[in-house]
Amino acid sequence: MLSIDSARRRGMVDALPLLTPVIPFAMVLGLAISESSISDLVGWSGSSLIFGGAAQLTVVTLSGAGVGLLAVIAAGWVVQARHLMYSAALAPAFGLQPRWFRYLGPYFLVDQVFALVVMRTDSDPDVFRRYYLSAALTFWSVWQVSVALGLVVGPVVPESWALGFAVPLLFLGLLIGAVDGPPAAAAAVVAAGVTLATMGIPNRGGLLVGALSGVVAGYMTQRWRP
Amino acid sequence: MNVFWLGLIATASVGAGTYLMRSIFILSLADRDLSPQVLQALRFVAPSVLAALVVSILFGGADQGGVGWVEVIALGTGGAVGWRTRSIPWLLVAGMGTLWVIGAFV
Repeated sequence: MLSIDSARRRGMVDALPLLTPVIPFAMVLGLAISESSISDLVGWSGSSLIFGGAAQLTVVTLSGAGVGLLAVIAAGWVVQARHLMYSAALAPAFGLQPRWFRYLGPYFLVDQVFALVVMRTDSDPDVFRRYYLSAALTFWSVWQVSVALGLVVGPVVPESWALGFAVPLLFLGLLIGAVDGPPAAAAAVVAAGVTLATMGIPNRGGLLVGALSGVVAGYMTQRWRP
Repeated sequence: MNVFWLGLIATASVGAGTYLMRSIFILSLADRDLSPQVLQALRFVAPSVLAALVVSILFGGADQGGVGWVEVIALGTGGAVGWRTRSIPWLLVAGMGTLWVIGAFV
């Protein structure tokens, strides 16, 4: 059991190994912002306004690609829909927290912070809060600095390095991490196929059609699996 | 609308939506909890939307420069390494490395 004195340090220490993949991710995001047609400041503002890498990368990539505003927003929301799960899972633990923290805490609820704190929900509320804030602030600070670093490095890198290719690679890496069994694999395959087939829909509408088909496919596979 | 405002409004809206989704049950903004069916379906949002994004970025039009066989091999190599190591940094190294090495010869 964590003590109130060790909770802060522990939160930071536990966050460190999860930061290893986050730093190159953030730097690729910074590079993508510097290469896209949206301004660096607007792109970087997503690091704090959204604080979620996949959604920020989605907004940056689509905003610069001639996609309409509503389509960009819809894609961003769909990417973030999994956070509803996190909110539902942590609601009981937050019930014991002071009001200010119930408002502040959810802002930091990225995948990695959720993965860390969901294992500490049995802790004493004061310990939980210190642990949560410490892990969250560690992530938040490293994220802001790393994205900014990618932004600074981006324009210096020669065009021939084709660093823009890191963006689909990064999404592929996130995808691999999200495929945790046959139903999730079915969801991914169907989503990819339908997106490819519906490429002709304007405003990258195929993205949403494909994603929705994937969710249905995953759900069906899960239900009908022996 | 120019790209500056489009980017800013999109970023702010996705940010607001994200906060709402992260806080909705914690702040008891919803009257009731999610049904088990909805929770189960939400598990498939991440793999679906990420697969759709990969395809959409690769084949999404002229702005991305299109994909040739070099990119396909690089993506395959990166994907295989990422699958084995479960590591995004190694996936990036393998994918970009393949792209550069093959690119140097063609």
